[in-house]
Amino acid sequence: MSAPATSPSSAAGSSPAPGFTDAPAAGGQAPPAGTPPVRARRRLRDRLRRDWPLLAMTAPAAALLLVFHYLPTLGNVIAFQDYNPFVGDDPVEAFWRSEWIGFGNFEALFADPLFWDAVRNTLTITAFQLVFFFPLPILLAVLLNSLVSARLRGFVQSVVYLPHFFSWVLVVTFFVQMLGGAGLLAQEMREAGMQPFDVMTDPDTFIVLVTAEAVWKDLGWGAIVFLAALAAIDPHLYEAAAADGAGRWRRLWHITLPGLRPVIVLLLIMRLGDALSVGFEQFILQREAVGREAAEVLDTFVYYQAISTQQWGLGAAAGLFKAVVGLVLILAANRVAHRLGEQGVYSRS
Amino acid sequence: MTAQLSGAAPAPVRSGADRRRRRSGRPAWEEPPTAAGTLAKAVLLTLLVAAVLVPLWAVLVTSLASRDTIDTAGGMVMVPREIDPSAYVTIFSGGQISRAVWISTLVTVLGTTVSLVLTVLAAYGLSRPGSVGHRGLLFFFLLTFLIFPGLVPSYLVVTGFGLKDSIWSLVLPSAISVFNLVVIRAFFMNVPGELLDSARIDGAGELHILLRVVLPLSKAVIAVVGLFYAVGYWNAYFNAVLYIDDNDKFPIQRVLQSYILAGQSPNVSGAAVSLPGVTAYPPTLAVKMAVVVVTVIPAVVVYPFVQRHFTKGVITGAVKG
Amino acid sequence: MKPSLPGASTDRRSLLRLLGLGAAATMGGATLAGCSREAGSAGSATKADAIRAVLPAHKPAELLKPDIPGEGPIPDGYLSYPRSLVDAVTEQPGRGGPQIRTMSPWWGPAPPTVGRNSYLAAVNARLGVKVNPSLQDGTTYADKLNAMLGARDVPDLLSAPNWEVDKVARFSDAVKALFEDLTDHLKGDAAAKYPYLGALPTGAWEYSVWGGRLYAVPFPTDGPFAYAVFHRADLLAQAALAAPKSPQELHELGREVTDPAKGVWAFGSVFDMVQQFFGCQQTWRRKPDGGLEHKFENPAFAAALEFTAKLFADGLVHPDTVASKGADEKQLFKAGKILMYQDGLGAWQGMQGERVKELPSFDMQPLPVFGAAGAQPVIWGSEKPVFYTFVKKGLGAERVDELLRVLNWCAAPFGSREFELREYGVEGRHFTRSADGSPVPTELGRKELGAQYTHIGGRVPVKVRSGDTPDYVRDYLGYYQKNIALMEKDLFAGIKLELPANWSKIIQPTDDKIRDILRGRRPVGDLAQVRKEFLASGGEEGRAFHEKALADNGR
Repeated sequence: MSAPATSPSSAAGSSPAPGFTDAPAAGGQAPPAGTPPVRARRRLRDRLRRDWPLLAMTAPAAALLLVFHYLPTLGNVIAFQDYNPFVGDDPVEAFWRSEWIGFGNFEALFADPLFWDAVRNTLTITAFQLVFFFPLPILLAVLLNSLVSARLRGFVQSVVYLPHFFSWVLVVTFFVQMLGGAGLLAQEMREAGMQPFDVMTDPDTFIVLVTAEAVWKDLGWGAIVFLAALAAIDPHLYEAAAADGAGRWRRLWHITLPGLRPVIVLLLIMRLGDALSVGFEQFILQREAVGREAAEVLDTFVYYQAISTQQWGLGAAAGLFKAVVGLVLILAANRVAHRLGEQGVYSRS
Repeated sequence: MTAQLSGAAPAPVRSGADRRRRRSGRPAWEEPPTAAGTLAKAVLLTLLVAAVLVPLWAVLVTSLASRDTIDTAGGMVMVPREIDPSAYVTIFSGGQISRAVWISTLVTVLGTTVSLVLTVLAAYGLSRPGSVGHRGLLFFFLLTFLIFPGLVPSYLVVTGFGLKDSIWSLVLPSAISVFNLVVIRAFFMNVPGELLDSARIDGAGELHILLRVVLPLSKAVIAVVGLFYAVGYWNAYFNAVLYIDDNDKFPIQRVLQSYILAGQSPNVSGAAVSLPGVTAYPPTLAVKMAVVVVTVIPAVVVYPFVQRHFTKGVITGAVKG
Repeated sequence: MKPSLPGASTDRRSLLRLLGLGAAATMGGATLAGCSREAGSAGSATKADAIRAVLPAHKPAELLKPDIPGEGPIPDGYLSYPRSLVDAVTEQPGRGGPQIRTMSPWWGPAPPTVGRNSYLAAVNARLGVKVNPSLQDGTTYADKLNAMLGARDVPDLLSAPNWEVDKVARFSDAVKALFEDLTDHLKGDAAAKYPYLGALPTGAWEYSVWGGRLYAVPFPTDGPFAYAVFHRADLLAQAALAAPKSPQELHELGREVTDPAKGVWAFGSVFDMVQQFFGCQQTWRRKPDGGLEHKFENPAFAAALEFTAKLFADGLVHPDTVASKGADEKQLFKAGKILMYQDGLGAWQGMQGERVKELPSFDMQPLPVFGAAGAQPVIWGSEKPVFYTFVKKGLGAERVDELLRVLNWCAAPFGSREFELREYGVEGRHFTRSADGSPVPTELGRKELGAQYTHIGGRVPVKVRSGDTPDYVRDYLGYYQKNIALMEKDLFAGIKLELPANWSKIIQPTDDKIRDILRGRRPVGDLAQVRKEFLASGGEEGRAFHEKALADNGR
């Protein structure tokens, strides 16, 4: 799971979204319905006078995204084309000179049972990891935060976050060396006269294996955000609670967790938006060991059926499908959070 | 496992130096730790640390093992037989590393600065629900998380701006991470409204409020996001593959990868490239592991600096309260 | 065209709105009313006659008589480095043109660039024109190539590996849009102007034709076989075991040597070679009635599959190979943890030369090829060149001539001074001479050389004996000479196949199913079912396509 582990350039994969708690439908920016237009306009002028510094502050980042993200994103029109990069006189022309085929790419995608297998696998793994991985960095952060010695805390944290910097090849190699049929564990068992088991090639437990690998790789990295959130909790709250006779459990429940809640909700929603991505390299590496049925996820499906066969339009269609699913999940999650009385990421409105 | 996490027991291991540095380890109001809790924590932390250090040890030992040792073991080595620095010599004598370190440092410093400044500004600009265009802008940012540009269009834009072989091609396309933006924004929105209101009543402008009120309370998250950005820039690889043709302008990861990939020459049918004399560097596993060590070292060095701000955040929080 | 889904238009509009894709919604406006069809070409093929008509006239350059003459695709062998070298190119190739930008793949640390690289300076001085090479990572070459081709941003000379070119969809369109048609420069006797290009084997040139025109200079393979099974001859000899001569013996040998307690398993990956032992074709073969038979329809494939599945089931394959694609079989083989695995023959010399330094007894040898139950084995392979070098389009005839003269220099054969300078650099700086006269790279040589000229130039491949692997040349050429008769004829040699989309799509899912059988996740009996599904969902279409391609070409 990559949600808490996103770095700037690898944003490809993670997904977003706090702020729709009060805007479940979509991102319209019209004034509330029923407001008379004239008043709305005047109000808009007042609001502009008040808010222009905020807009100015947002503008540079927005401009960068507009140029380096949205402009090339227009290329996704190839999802509706039989894209041929070599028609026309220049590469940009190829984007509108290629033959338009409507929803042919989407139809091909949706008609493929392997696609739905991949979607199902991906969502299953996401759900599994939401339960068995997502909470762990939070628990680790709380555990680390409970250490009094800053030096020990720093040592432990700077050790456990290191696997994030290992490549997947290395991570899988470690697991093979430990748990594989020729690994440490198997050899010990053989020496003890037992029949070794091989978790690396068992399709039934594959989901546990990939989750364990992901936990090992990104547990410490994922805890960093929560450590920052814990640091932002006012220590006086603890002191006051202790004075009121709250024990450590009650303080955890009534101060620590509520303090973390906005960040937890935020990351949870983002993870949901990214529900159709669970990793790529990790699965490519272990696919042969457990077979397609267990290891095919959406990203590997797209790789085999669109990227390696150079069906760019099909790949773009799959990308748009992911975006739509992500958007729907985010909006739904936000609404649920709102219904549950969770302020979501808006602490005030 | 949850059972042992609560409360604030002193660390199972505490050095004297640490005791001196922090006048009182445990706040006076906190109850003393239970023996069971302390033990459980110690066991848990030891396991966690060991789960990382053991493989890391194997990486280190292998990186310092001779070719013969590795070839005899058939893979990673756990027990050092000798110390053979030739893998590191290979990497550092290539002549490219020092240049690449300089380029990556530049990219990381420049990029992290640009990214942090723009991200903090935008996060603040988006932190007030109800402001003009708030929801639309937020949607504009969030959508970049869901939908991505393809390879060729990105290449066309970057080269169209003349950024090929420029270090800006490693900065600008990845300068804004919306994940980081919304994380910062969430922290900003947690800043008590009264503080902002009182600053506003004093006639402070938005920039002033951001710099004087919000940022000092948000050092921890700024440090974290700074770390995320810096790690991203330092590890940037793929953009360099696409946009940097000039071998002298390769960033560190691009150079390190070339040591890892050396010798993975094509195994495709009939593609065996073997020319008399010219065989690429024999890429031992030792070299690959040395690359891992070299990659991990900056991460080890940098974390304490981030961690320091966590503590400061707590202190500032206390002042505020 | 396929009719669109019922009620599609409303669905589409709401989908677009949901996407919030303003641009897509507007630009797609025209198509909403139209009908949709699946993307992907129906495939195309270049005619073989057209190919023969545009090839350069082959004229071997006989600078140096080989000790072991090669035949056909087998390279010439030399057992010593020549004491005296010949000047192969007398006229300076450069014509004072601007610098030549090149891009070629390299697997390893990139050497310093022009201006900081004395090797490049020395060769450029000889060429009389500044070649400015950019070396790109061989493993990410596909990404780079796709971006550059799609953006139509190519250097003057572009070297591309054949396996990357094969992956680029509509490559014949790309070639026409981006690269210079070299036919008129190189066709027939015109190639006499560039004698060392004319000396490259015709078998390699055949593959450099797209749409009936010559578009690339090939870098010929130095051995057409796809794989061999390597075995540790030293360890077998130690255990007094003989190399197997039948599948049964291979299996018995596997049982004999596998000892998990010692961490030793008999096999790494071997499936491709087992198929060849059993006499199974790589993909298609001609049936007596003239039609094509896919390998899944050949009983030999079923037998090979059953045999290999048994190797897995009996636990004779190393668990690392079983567990991850990232398994380092070369490393396991060097350590004696696996005794047999398949690899390209190109792996041989490097590994033998490297390992024998620490373990003098180390001896890796390709397993002698044997057949199953009296059947003739088959060897997969082709003369497809390793790399193609393309010339950027629209540079003008004079510049193209200059570039071809440079490529001609870069193709200068073994025995020439040009060859030595290109492959080893300057004597005393980049290499020293060992007692037998052969060059030994210095530290600087290792640092500065990266096949900058070799990979763009093509060359007539040769095998030269070197001190650390004294037997290699004889062994290598011996293996080829012994088995070349078994090599399967490439029915489609030189025909550029751009395969139908449905065919490409079915490959991976079918591979997955075959692998499930191989690894014991499905019974061997399921092969019939897999074959049926394969033929129904693209296999038959592929057969028709390939049969038509052959018929069109009069083969």
